[in-house]
Amino acid sequence: PGAPAAGMRRRRRLQQEDGISFEYHRYPELREALVSVWLQCTAISRIYTVGRSFEGRELLVIELSDNPGVHEPGEPEFKYIGNMHGNEAVGRELLIFLAQYLCNEYQKGNETIVKLIHNTRIHIMPSLNPDGFEKAASQPGELKDWFVGRSNAQGIDLNRNFPDLDRIVYVNEKEGGPNNHLLKNLKKIVDQNTKLAPETKAVIHWIMDIPFVLSANLHGGDLVANYPYDETRSGSAHEYSSCPDDAIFQSLARAYSAFNPPMSDPNRPPCRKNDDDSSFIDGTTNGAAWYSVPGGMQDFNYLSSNCFEITVELSCEKFPPEETLKSYWEDNKNSLISYLEQIHRGVKGFVRDLQGNPIANASISVEGIDHDVTSAKDGDYWRLLVPGNYKLTASAPGYLAITKKVAVPYSPAIGVDFELESFSERKEEEKEELMEWWKMMSETLNF
Amino acid sequence: MGFLWTGTWILVLVLQSSPVQAFPKPGGSQDKPLHNSELSAERPLNEQIAEAEADKIKKTYPPENNPGESNYSFVDNLNLLKAITEKENIEKERQSIRSSPYDNKLNVEDVDSTKNRRLTDDYDSTKSGLNHKLQDDPDGLHQLDGTPLTAEDIVQKIATRIYEENDRGVFDKIVSKLLNLGLITESQAHTLEDEVAEVLQKLISKEANTYEEEPNKPTSVTESRAGKIPEKVTPMAAIQDGLTNGQNDETVSNTLTLTNGLERRTKIYNEDNFEELQYFPNFYALLKSIDSEKEAKEKETLITIMKTLIDFVKMMVKYGTISPEEGVSYLENLDETIALQTKSKLEKNVTDNKSKLFPAPSEKSHEETDSTKEEAAKMEKEYGTLKDSTKDDNPRGKTDAPKGKTEAYLEAIRKNIEWLKKHNKKGNKEDYDLSKMRDFINQQADVYVEKGILDKEEADAIKRIYSSL
Repeated sequence: PGAPAAGMRRRRRLQQEDGISFEYHRYPELREALVSVWLQCTAISRIYTVGRSFEGRELLVIELSDNPGVHEPGEPEFKYIGNMHGNEAVGRELLIFLAQYLCNEYQKGNETIVKLIHNTRIHIMPSLNPDGFEKAASQPGELKDWFVGRSNAQGIDLNRNFPDLDRIVYVNEKEGGPNNHLLKNLKKIVDQNTKLAPETKAVIHWIMDIPFVLSANLHGGDLVANYPYDETRSGSAHEYSSCPDDAIFQSLARAYSAFNPPMSDPNRPPCRKNDDDSSFIDGTTNGAAWYSVPGGMQDFNYLSSNCFEITVELSCEKFPPEETLKSYWEDNKNSLISYLEQIHRGVKGFVRDLQGNPIANASISVEGIDHDVTSAKDGDYWRLLVPGNYKLTASAPGYLAITKKVAVPYSPAIGVDFELESFSERKEEEKEELMEWWKMMSETLNF
Repeated sequence: MGFLWTGTWILVLVLQSSPVQAFPKPGGSQDKPLHNSELSAERPLNEQIAEAEADKIKKTYPPENNPGESNYSFVDNLNLLKAITEKENIEKERQSIRSSPYDNKLNVEDVDSTKNRRLTDDYDSTKSGLNHKLQDDPDGLHQLDGTPLTAEDIVQKIATRIYEENDRGVFDKIVSKLLNLGLITESQAHTLEDEVAEVLQKLISKEANTYEEEPNKPTSVTESRAGKIPEKVTPMAAIQDGLTNGQNDETVSNTLTLTNGLERRTKIYNEDNFEELQYFPNFYALLKSIDSEKEAKEKETLITIMKTLIDFVKMMVKYGTISPEEGVSYLENLDETIALQTKSKLEKNVTDNKSKLFPAPSEKSHEETDSTKEEAAKMEKEYGTLKDSTKDDNPRGKTDAPKGKTEAYLEAIRKNIEWLKKHNKKGNKEDYDLSKMRDFINQQADVYVEKGILDKEEADAIKRIYSSL
């Protein structure tokens, strides 16, 4: 299990299924595996890098979509990120397997997968901390432990390294203030912040560049799907701290855990004898209820962008033996697909002006939920919601807001477009109306 | 034995000076002027006689540069040899070459006898009995019209020796020694084997015809083909004379009993166009072990697969997709793989070694009897193997990572092409345009190299694979 590099390579072709080799991939093998997927599925995939780790390894992403490299207006963007703690290895491997699996299934004509790939832009980053992984993987067998390789090469725990927006939102909740996109002057802040690891910076830029809608962040060390908020409101060690979208997040987390038998097994004993898993329900947990995490990537997504992210803990053991990888795949593959499909829920559409031009950065608010999303460059927006009746309001500076009522089923997403009238247009209209009235008056009264 | 050595040395010297090329490009060697025109001295009588003899044999191997021919590599190797010897033509006199067996320089026209002598000189003293016969070996290496007889005569010589010695193992030993010393390449060794075997076959059949009245002969020939015990042969001199003078009578003794390898070879030679398959001793062993009567179809299938593989590799080399060394390595690897598979199967199932000797490939062979596409897939997979072993940045042996990587890439590309073809047939969406795909891939590969997603090497390999499709 997790033997030195040579050992891993020697066992390379031990377990294989349809191009998926169930073994640990070091950095070269990771790259190779992604290249193989790209070569096999050139029409629907693309590899890119969001930047480099501290030691210079590319933070590789493989994108799967029917038009790779392009954001198609109206097509939601999804991401999976694994191995942000380098010694939490299962997520990294699952994502490599997933990429290959999606490619294979697409070519086999698997309807679910074909539909997903045609209607979603799926980004898969198997490892956000390749440096940490190398360190962890180099540990001989039994010595793989809870800490070595967890942080990046600088010793920074990436999941504590993001700007802490939870604190800001808690203040805003009390005193008023924005409920979304809390990181103002983002670029400047990020680039000038010396405390941010290169991996963290890269991800932040990535989040800002692509209008992600849904995401999951894969970890290890336990078996649960964790959702926002991660940090307790009061500052205590454990406290259920719900975010405005608690309902949909519970649904999203369940959509993952329900398909993972051990994760959703109510009778499963905790990973370690003295673990407190009292907050776990149906394989899900509110982050802060489990334990408080400040500066995490999950909440950063929710509070700085439109992206809803959950954290999935995939394995009691952080770096389990290679022989177990196949069974982890079996336990998770349906969950990974199910979670992907969640992106096609709620409401989606376009915000345009009266001439049909897209209005970017319009706000879409939902009555009763204190969290707004914004429209992307093409005016497109996506608002994940659990089934129910809602009032959606689209607004943008210089435009008159419009509210629409929507009945939302479980899925698929309901399309709702907004055509906003700008103030000046309204002024013109009013002016015209006034002129009309004046004309009528003058005719009647013989001015 | 001595003759074997000598002959081999001759060929070695001829081959050694070639720019290492197992599969010379078509038309390349055609440009070389006929070396004969540079002959300046009258050749000894026996040489001329030998030449005449070789001429006869040569008729079955018309020089062709048609790349599609199955004997392409054979013929071109001959051309190559011719070209090489031509190159070295000026440099040495016949008598002077005897000095160093490893000497790279060659005088074309004198190459035979000097090579003979050299070989004899260096020949293992334990086989001394046959040494001196070679010294006078009048192998004629030219023909007046300049056709590539040099190699053929050498080959003939070697074949004769094998014939006489009844022991192909000696040849093997010599060749492997030469290979280890880097004097010849694998492909050259294979070519040599190939050619020797063919000549041998001719000898055998000739003898069979000539000596029908001798009770042993024809039957022994056929029986030996069926795989019987070798017997010692008659004196070299007689054979030698026989060869050169067409008077093979005395020499073809009763047994044309050959070793297994030769029997295999001749047996297979009797079937169509299998000379290239003689590159693969293990494959041969496999084929031989398959009972012709019962499983003729399977045998045929295997042979077809191998031939297709060989053609594929040749084509790849021809088009520059892979280098000749890679082609050779691939073929070697292939044979080794067969050997391993065979061995492991035999170990598994001692009694029944027929249909199970080809475990992995046979899975494919079932499919491949049905479709050339899958055959191509196998080829490509093997090609991937080939690519890896030649780009071995990991000194870990053939089953390891580098081999796996290119194999994986090749497999991925194959799946992609397959899917594209299928997808277009069904949907009629876009025309499946290979050249467009190729351009796209080339472009993307470059982008990826820039971004650090691909190594330059990998990108080149990928581009090459696509350009060869």
